[in-house]
Amino acid sequence: MTATPTLELRGVDKSFGPVQVLHDVGFRAHAGEVTALVGDNGAGKSTLVKCIGGIHPFDSGDYLFEGRPVQVHSPREAAALGVEIVYQDLALCDNLDIVQNMFLGRERRSGLILDEATMEEMAAETLAGLSVRTVTSVRQRVSSLSGGQRQTVAIAKAVLWNSKLVVLDEPTAALGVAQTAQVLELVRRLADNGLTVVLISHNLNDVFAVSDRIAVLHLGRTAAQVRTGDVTHAQVVELITAGRSGDLGPATTNGATT
Amino acid sequence: MRAGPSQEEVRRLNLGTLLRHLHTGGPVSRAVLADRMGLNRSTILALVSELTAAGLVREELPRDTGRAGRPSLVVRPDPRIYVLAFDVGVDQVAAARVGLGGAVLDRRETTYPRIGIRPEEAAAVLTGHAKEMTAAAPADAVCAGAGAAVRGMVRHPDGLVRSAPNTGWTDEDFGRDLAGRLGLGLPVLLDNESNLGALAEHVRGAGQGLEDLIYLHGDIGIGGGVIAGGRLLRGHNGYGGEVGHLLVNPRGGRPCGCGSRGCLEAEAGQGALLEAAGRVPDTTGRQAVRSVVEAADRGDVAARAALHTVAEWLAVGVSSLVNLYNPAAVVFGGTLRDIYLGAAAQIRSLINTRTLAASREEVRFRVCRLGDDTVLAGAAELAFGRLFADPLGHRGP
Repeated sequence: MTATPTLELRGVDKSFGPVQVLHDVGFRAHAGEVTALVGDNGAGKSTLVKCIGGIHPFDSGDYLFEGRPVQVHSPREAAALGVEIVYQDLALCDNLDIVQNMFLGRERRSGLILDEATMEEMAAETLAGLSVRTVTSVRQRVSSLSGGQRQTVAIAKAVLWNSKLVVLDEPTAALGVAQTAQVLELVRRLADNGLTVVLISHNLNDVFAVSDRIAVLHLGRTAAQVRTGDVTHAQVVELITAGRSGDLGPATTNGATT
Repeated sequence: MRAGPSQEEVRRLNLGTLLRHLHTGGPVSRAVLADRMGLNRSTILALVSELTAAGLVREELPRDTGRAGRPSLVVRPDPRIYVLAFDVGVDQVAAARVGLGGAVLDRRETTYPRIGIRPEEAAAVLTGHAKEMTAAAPADAVCAGAGAAVRGMVRHPDGLVRSAPNTGWTDEDFGRDLAGRLGLGLPVLLDNESNLGALAEHVRGAGQGLEDLIYLHGDIGIGGGVIAGGRLLRGHNGYGGEVGHLLVNPRGGRPCGCGSRGCLEAEAGQGALLEAAGRVPDTTGRQAVRSVVEAADRGDVAARAALHTVAEWLAVGVSSLVNLYNPAAVVFGGTLRDIYLGAAAQIRSLINTRTLAASREEVRFRVCRLGDDTVLAGAAELAFGRLFADPLGHRGP
């Protein structure tokens, strides 16, 4: 792929006090593709995502968005670039309905009052654009939704803001088979619609089902960045657990092989 | 050797193309149509007026543009035009009323506890569904065609069902029988379920915009539809793309309904999965397959082993298809959707090691976007095809 990646991180270091969590990490994600980020527990996936989302600043390293070097110091700045993150706990409010959740903190106003009609329309449009048919009414309370529906709402919320990069942290972790399938299809559709999607998952089956590229973190370093069509399940498992597999793995550079 | 197309033929072609654009792309302004079709605006105006007069399209103000200035009219398919789509499965029949533009307006289905529906029985049940749906339709609605999907080998172009091993049909003129019962004065066009699935996913599903794709449909057997260069690959008599009978395990493979051994459908079909998972022999259908995938996900060892075995054979078959056709996408539909999502790591790993690197470089693996309605949507597309071929002369008496 010759196009400029939507997101490129180079040589990212991050420490919390004496603990170095990320060490010279490189990462790339392209538009129209699902890039899976995998790694063992404690490999640094969540930290990397929080760095992308502006929650943690990097100690050093480059953050390139659509080829331009940028500085991201807060979630608001990340959102302004078009970066949205769906965290594992989804951060939805049970006592609010779908529209209220999707616009929480960024409500549309007309004059002094909230523009409920526009918000409702935009929410419904976004859900329809993602071919979500499982939600019957956008005025349903989130507490009445199933796990898969909640995940869908959280993803739709991230897409609503003309975002360019959507990071999904373990979106299928707590779901049954049918709901996992729905969420995976949704993830794939986001990328097919032209968004850049980063999928964090422990489930290699999900990773192989929808991803175009796989980035493996091992002990805070990038073990490999490969195309999903070039590797096997066994190789990825080896990269996750041992940090290298045959020719794949860090040699002299930071592990980016493609 | 004949001369170039007559003016009349060109006009018919343009009308059909315009209608097809609206059907697949949704309502747009005349300016956009002119751009998409590469015709000048006055031609588009003439075509639109003709179609409007025939009651096939409408010109309306868009609901809201959100922009300043006088909004331009959009051309939209007339909501009164619909087709009847039928799907004859091995243990289920379904019928739908599908509007021009692709929306499913009404849908009925009947499930049977056993396999092997007789053609007369299927035709009678479907006629019942169709009559109910046409009665429930608005009084000014117009039926523009009918299409049906069958699980078997369908002769092209007359639609004779030559053989359907899983339902036991041989040389059935099902389309004529169904058309006679419906009494709409319209023929019922027939094709194989996976050819129609391929068509549907190509027109408005996971393969939209892709000229080369393979659709694999899992049911009791496995069917395949190959779209190459934007056209369905039918072969000499219409039996092309019988992917289910791709020989993957000729030595000591499982016996197949076709009389051979080790066909893809025998090794990776529903029977193989359910038998390997130790399910009772007479349980069939989507639910049975889904329950195995679900059990495998929960960690049931027998179900996992069964899913892996089947996934491996499926990967062998898909690898050959990727090498043969170099598709832009392979779309898994029917029960193969569940199997692919349940065993993607294994399936893709095998494909990644067994296909030519150049062939697989850009191939996408997708699950059908139209879900359980893929085949019905394909039957509707088949029926609309006749309308697009001759928009003004499609109507029967």
